Amino acid sequence: MFEDSLLGLATLLDPAMIAAIAVGVTCGILIGILPGLTSTLGVALVIPITFSMPPQVGLAMLGGIYVASTYSGAITAVLLNIPGTPAAVATLLDGYPMGRNGEPTRALALSTFGSAVGGMISVIALLLLGPALAKVSLLFGPPEYFLLAVFGITVIASLSAGAMIKGLIAGCIGLLMSTVGYHPLTGTMRFTFGLPALYDGIPLVAALIGLYSVPEVVDMIVRGDKKKSVQNERDRKSPYRYLGQVIKQTGNLIRSSFIGLIVGIIPGVGASVGGFVAYDAAKRASKRPERFGKGSAEGVLACETGNNAVTGGTLVPLLTLGIPGNPVTAVMLGGLMIHGLQPGAELFTANADIAFGFIFSLFLSNLLLIPIGLVFAKYCAQIVRVPRAILAPIILLLSIVGTYSIRSSFEDVLIMFSIGAIGFLCQRFSIPRAPLVLGLVLGTLAESELERSLALVSGDIGVFVLQLVTRPISLGILLLSIYAVYQGVVQHRRQSRLLDQ
Amino acid sequence: MRFFAAAIVGLLLAAVLTPRENEGSSDFPRKPVTLIVAYSPGGAVDTIGRAVATHLETYLGQRIVVRNKPGAGGEIGYRSLSAANPDGYTLGMITAPPILMLDMLRQSKHGEIASFDVLASVQKDPVVIAVGADSPHGSLRDLLQAARDESSKLINVAGDGPLSNNQLQLAVAEKELDVNFNFVPFNGSGPSIAALLGGQVEAAVPSASSVTNYVKRGDVRALAVFADERYEFLPDIPTVVEATGVDVPGIGAAVRGIVLPRDVPIANKQLLADAIENLMADEEFKIYVRRAGIPLHYMGAEEFDAYLLDLERQLTAYMPLLSGAQDNGAPR
Repeated sequence: MFEDSLLGLATLLDPAMIAAIAVGVTCGILIGILPGLTSTLGVALVIPITFSMPPQVGLAMLGGIYVASTYSGAITAVLLNIPGTPAAVATLLDGYPMGRNGEPTRALALSTFGSAVGGMISVIALLLLGPALAKVSLLFGPPEYFLLAVFGITVIASLSAGAMIKGLIAGCIGLLMSTVGYHPLTGTMRFTFGLPALYDGIPLVAALIGLYSVPEVVDMIVRGDKKKSVQNERDRKSPYRYLGQVIKQTGNLIRSSFIGLIVGIIPGVGASVGGFVAYDAAKRASKRPERFGKGSAEGVLACETGNNAVTGGTLVPLLTLGIPGNPVTAVMLGGLMIHGLQPGAELFTANADIAFGFIFSLFLSNLLLIPIGLVFAKYCAQIVRVPRAILAPIILLLSIVGTYSIRSSFEDVLIMFSIGAIGFLCQRFSIPRAPLVLGLVLGTLAESELERSLALVSGDIGVFVLQLVTRPISLGILLLSIYAVYQGVVQHRRQSRLLDQ
Repeated sequence: MRFFAAAIVGLLLAAVLTPRENEGSSDFPRKPVTLIVAYSPGGAVDTIGRAVATHLETYLGQRIVVRNKPGAGGEIGYRSLSAANPDGYTLGMITAPPILMLDMLRQSKHGEIASFDVLASVQKDPVVIAVGADSPHGSLRDLLQAARDESSKLINVAGDGPLSNNQLQLAVAEKELDVNFNFVPFNGSGPSIAALLGGQVEAAVPSASSVTNYVKRGDVRALAVFADERYEFLPDIPTVVEATGVDVPGIGAAVRGIVLPRDVPIANKQLLADAIENLMADEEFKIYVRRAGIPLHYMGAEEFDAYLLDLERQLTAYMPLLSGAQDNGAPR
């Protein structure tokens, strides 16, 4: 194992590898910044190009794109209040307020350092614990996945502390929206209005663009330059000066990386949930939870560390078992197969140089995020100086093109605008949108896993409930969820009391 | 930012303004050809589609650009393909039986989804029935016997679903072998194999190509393959006739082929068909595709057409089983 990994390390000495990683990271950052272009699309676009490269070089480039596009959605989240990718939805909560308070450089620096650290810790875990973690992932069956989705949904409680009713309304709208599409067990169509584009459910990326870009564009047009937006006056420091603040939060970094890693290993959840759960945990652990939502450094760091740690986690089942947990890794599996590489234990013995080379290249990609990401962040920050009258139509155009490009479907653009109307109403009545996103993402998972759990016991609810408390992992997650709801209520009472005074 | 916007607008304009024509011309193809894949990147259809696209260039003299139009179980891509300009510059990958099942299940006007002229089939991926490595069922006969035992509970079988070709194959097998399983749909063959590895289900019906490595590695035991002949990458696994003595039609096998929208000029169609035929005989292509574990299977236009007609006839008989199977496992 040790010698094999040295073989992998040696591949990094190849200048072509370094170049591939740098190109991958740069492209990935661009993809993440543009709304609609996601990690999946980026990797899919580049895969045919990598066919002609040596496998380890091609994989290194794909890895760079994956890691960097997961991170760079944060840049637009901080500067424009629009998440560039689904992963950055949690980053909006504190990243944008911090930018508006005159510290966009700080928010971008924290995001970048957090992403890099989260990514690197998850890669180390993949290297050292990969096969063991894969075995753990197989212990999770439908009942466990169902409870995990429920646990994720309980995060809504803590996101809505102080405005519980509005948070719950948003969460319920999200859950309701997640029921659009075919029934996970019978295939019956629900709320699709006969539109094939809705058969698979509301497309997540189109929904996010609608929820966040459309209200922001409307706001820019209505209020023009009078709107108080991100300002760059107060801080002209180098982003590297914030490194000290990051290192001080070692506990937060390790906790968030661990959460992201676990979320990544579980198939079908995704980086956005990793960010939310890490944010929630940071808030619970924080000495100053009241700062969360108003530009808390802990919050920005937690969600960005968490969502990038997901990347290493998703590669665990892919490389060790050949089971892709999300769309990006599904595309990567195709990339591996076309090079004749079969994921599994023998990938690490027969093709050790490629397998370990890929893992080390991911580590390097995460490291390169810092210099390349900060250069991009520095120039992107100038965007706030662009007059709103010019910025608004550009964002609108990019939103339309981005939505269309996902599936080359015009119906998706219509869906994006319809959800944009919901997003606008949410903003108008200050209903938080984050619980809506959580409901939308996790509702589908919760429903299909519940149905599957019931199907496995032939619909016997008694047996299913018994399973939830007798399977050890289920019981653990169940207790965790109950505790999360309880603490959410306590936190809400405390904050409402503070508001009353 | 502004540069990107300008570039994107430019590209869009270029796409719209590109001239289109309908009559076959002697210099076909003069520009890159689009291959519509109605499924997500990285999936089985996409993998064979991209392999064909990359290698067909040699025989066609033009680049083939893969465009993924996933969604609604293929319906979005199939619809946009049948609506494409029939000039030969737009091809598509189809998978049967899903495309025919879509046509029947969605109760669209018949033929609205599956209205194409076929060029050739390129791949045939049968369904396999498999159990975990430490399963007590050593053969398909053992599994069937356990399933027929009235006293115990139904055996859970994982598979891609709902309403997939894998589920259809299991339903056909249940009828022909006179046995009852509890089909539990998962998000694809990969997740159903994971459920089998983790002991969440007793058996699974994945596609042969997706389970091959697990069988070779000894993590999963394949009991039989639903096909007339053994699967090329798993020569030790018996066919269902060999395993049980009963002939179960292998209509769940995913047969992938290349099609054109209706009314493409004959000359262009012939040129494309010839290029595919040459490609399918190309040794270098065969080696490349075999290395990725893709089971090639060539049928020319006539043969493929006949296969689809026969398949449609059989589906008409078996599809009602699927709506019945739906009520079996689903909680009420």
